[in-house]
Amino acid sequence: MAPTSLLISLASCLLFLSVSPALASNSEGEALCSFKSRLSDPNNVLQSWDQSLVNPCTWFHVTCDSQNRVIRLDLGNSNITGALGPELGRLQHLQYLELYRNNFMGKIPEELGNLKSLVSMDLYENQLEGEIPKSLSKLKSLRFMRMNNNKLTGSIPRELVTLSNLKVLDFSNNDLCGTIPVDGPFSTFPPESFENNKRLNGPELLGLASYDFGC
Amino acid sequence: MPSSPLLFFLLFLCFFCTQLSCTETEVQALLAWRSSLKDPGCLTQNWTSNNISTDPCQWRGIKCNETGSIISLSILSCQIDGTLDKFNFSSFPNLTRLEMVGNENLHGGIPKEIGTLHNLQFLDLRFNNLVGEIPVTISNLSNLEDLDLSFNLLTGAIPSAILNMSGLHSLDLGLNNLTGQIPRTIGNMFNLEELSLNGNYINGAIPREIEHLNKLTGLYLYKNELSGQIPLEIGNMTELQIADLSDNKLQGNIPATIAQLPNLSELDLENNQLNGTVPPYLGNNSNLEWIMLSNNDFIGTFPPLLCRSGKLKYLWATKNSFNSLLPITLKNCSSLIELDLSDNNIRADVSQTFGEHPNLSIINLSENRFYGRLPSNWVKNIMILSLQDNRLRGDIPKELANSTSLVILNLSNNNFSSLPLIQAPTLQSLHVSNNKLTGEFPLLQQNWTNLVTLDIGKNNFYGEMPSWIGSSFPVLKILRLGSNMFEGYIPPKLSMLNNLRLLDFSNNNLKGPIPHVLSHMHSMVVKTITNDSYIDLYFNSTVYEESIDFMWKGVEATYQETIALLTGIDLSCNAFSGEIPEDLMKLQGLISLNLSRNQLSGMIPHNIGNLTSLEVLDLSMNLLSGTIPPSILNLTGLDALNLSHNKLTGQIPSGPQLQTFNLSAFSYNDGLCGFPLPNNCLTHNNSIVPLLRNEARHKKLEVIWIICSVILGYVTGFWAYFGALYWKISLRFVVFHFTDKMQDKMMKWCGRYLH
Repeated sequence: MAPTSLLISLASCLLFLSVSPALASNSEGEALCSFKSRLSDPNNVLQSWDQSLVNPCTWFHVTCDSQNRVIRLDLGNSNITGALGPELGRLQHLQYLELYRNNFMGKIPEELGNLKSLVSMDLYENQLEGEIPKSLSKLKSLRFMRMNNNKLTGSIPRELVTLSNLKVLDFSNNDLCGTIPVDGPFSTFPPESFENNKRLNGPELLGLASYDFGC
Repeated sequence: MPSSPLLFFLLFLCFFCTQLSCTETEVQALLAWRSSLKDPGCLTQNWTSNNISTDPCQWRGIKCNETGSIISLSILSCQIDGTLDKFNFSSFPNLTRLEMVGNENLHGGIPKEIGTLHNLQFLDLRFNNLVGEIPVTISNLSNLEDLDLSFNLLTGAIPSAILNMSGLHSLDLGLNNLTGQIPRTIGNMFNLEELSLNGNYINGAIPREIEHLNKLTGLYLYKNELSGQIPLEIGNMTELQIADLSDNKLQGNIPATIAQLPNLSELDLENNQLNGTVPPYLGNNSNLEWIMLSNNDFIGTFPPLLCRSGKLKYLWATKNSFNSLLPITLKNCSSLIELDLSDNNIRADVSQTFGEHPNLSIINLSENRFYGRLPSNWVKNIMILSLQDNRLRGDIPKELANSTSLVILNLSNNNFSSLPLIQAPTLQSLHVSNNKLTGEFPLLQQNWTNLVTLDIGKNNFYGEMPSWIGSSFPVLKILRLGSNMFEGYIPPKLSMLNNLRLLDFSNNNLKGPIPHVLSHMHSMVVKTITNDSYIDLYFNSTVYEESIDFMWKGVEATYQETIALLTGIDLSCNAFSGEIPEDLMKLQGLISLNLSRNQLSGMIPHNIGNLTSLEVLDLSMNLLSGTIPPSILNLTGLDALNLSHNKLTGQIPSGPQLQTFNLSAFSYNDGLCGFPLPNNCLTHNNSIVPLLRNEARHKKLEVIWIICSVILGYVTGFWAYFGALYWKISLRFVVFHFTDKMQDKMMKWCGRYLH
């Protein structure tokens, strides 16, 4: 029953994506539909996502502001599997991106750096791999960045020290390497934020050791 | 004559042929083809004989002529698995009728050898899985009258040679994957009576040459990608009865010539990009029964002679920009069965526009500007009456309220002022919200076995909620009484509503406790997994789709497609008191719980975390005390939270989902501390650092106290001194004597300095 309903909802989503020119103005709904098309959703959490509606503001787990622009996406703990599509970056007014405790895999798309209004990015407890994109340093409003318990590799981008609003950061339980920055907000993060990264070395010694040591 | 022996010899051969070898060739060809099939299906049984001779004329599905040659071959729903590649068409010179229908495993292409069946009159290969292009050789079949290749997977463009066969009476290529354009040679098919090309990907314009198809009765071009305008030459197709051009990309106006077609009974132009006004003489000349104009951009008014024939049954014109409807158009149209004019801009007086329509069972005029009063007897046998979002006023007729046929009644968003007591046993959905209705609860007590939606919100209903509400609505899913003046208590029997999903009592004068038996509402206990059909109408109608307005995530929006998924309770803006029952936390299906703006006291139930489907939780503006239960951290789907304006204390639990809510979710709770509030909690369990706001208040008090003390001091001192002087004469003496002496001393001192 579930695969057929998935197929039907997927088909309806894609059908309207391709056939309706009048919905071109609903680019945020299109972006969310594209995002959904990469996912497997056994709990039917996304079944209310209907592209034929004029905007996504009545969809479940999507919250809009008074001008019908998406500001929250709350899909934590929903048993969703699949890749994070780059189209998420089109949600220009998104403030809260809650995708934690699922089975998202593949890389973190660098397009997430386009979410200039983002306040909270919770991608923790998934199967994400690859590097943390440098583009995330563009998220000037970001206060919470939690990517712990994934399979992320590479070094922590130095550019992230420019995120002066960052209050909580958690990169623990990954496979990061290199050194931990100490500038800017990084001076406030406790060591637990970085633990269980076997190849990650302690806070960088300014002026002495080279960056990305051990990467 | 030298050719005569030759001629004689040929005749002899032919005779011999028809007697023996031809029939043998035919049998051999059949059996050879059957053995080429992966699975012969029913042919194993059908193509067998009882006696030794293999006479195919006895086989099922095969007919022969007097000479024993096969003239008709029929293979219907036979479950054969294979192709036609090994079918030796040339072995069947006398075949006039060939049909292979409904064999879903008959795949492969149509071999070009099919063109050798010179005598073929009837060819039907529909409902198979045939692929590839239509062989051009079919156009060689000069005797062919009926050709049906529909419901296959044929591709490519339709060969122009095929749309040139002047002998064809009927052609059906529908429901394939054909592309390309309709060639202009189609004008040569002057014998064509039915043309079906629907359900393909045919593009380009409809050629003007169709005017030559003067025997055509049925033109089916729907569900393609045809563009351009409808040719005005269509007016010359005098035999045309049915024209279905829907679901294309046609543009421009409907040609006025269409009004001159004398036999037109069905015109379907839905889902195109047509515009302009509908030709005003449409209906003058024809026997119109079905007119479908929905989802285009038509403007103006409807042709006044539309129902002149007295046969108009179905008129669908939803989603256009029509702005008027003249009374003459439908007033005497007693043949009308279904009418859908919704989502236009029609401004008309509903009492003038309609007369008596005994057959009218479905009428949807919603989202227009109809005004005036509803006539009382115009819709006697109505099943669906959808008039919402208009400017209708006056009384809702008693005949409607007592109807024994009514299934859907939607009168919301109008200006109706009175509603008689409703007693309509077949009713499944009743919407009268946002009118000016008044009175007590408007439904009579009876067994409402069919009612699924009851929406009487946004009116002036008053009085108490009847106690029989719980036992009279066995299938009710939505109960919306919000924004009225209901008072009194929630009848505990309400919990018997086993199918209730959406409960909205907001904005009334209800009081008393929230009955804990509400936790027995079974439909709210289970999580809604699938978007089932919401109302099971016992008939199929695309004219009406149920919807409900629901206040959710701070915004009131209309929910139509997802109406079956909404599960919520809204008791906000009443005078409910007492505690929030812990039992309420059993309702795991809830996606929205709004108890704000009441006088609820006590603690937030400790097991609030059970409501795992919850997206919206609003408990603001109550008198709730105690701490926020840590189980709230389990609500990982929460995307809107408001606990402000209560008396909550203690530390706000710390967790990632809860951290996505800012100050406004927790403010105006004197004892709360912790993120996102600016004050931290002290480490001691008992003492709690007061809010900055409290400190400011204390400081203010201090200042007032100081000022008061100073003033008191001055008053006391003043009266002590002058009071004493007033009462004690001897003291006065002493004081005045002393001041005189001081005055003398000062004068002497000043005088010494000046000199």
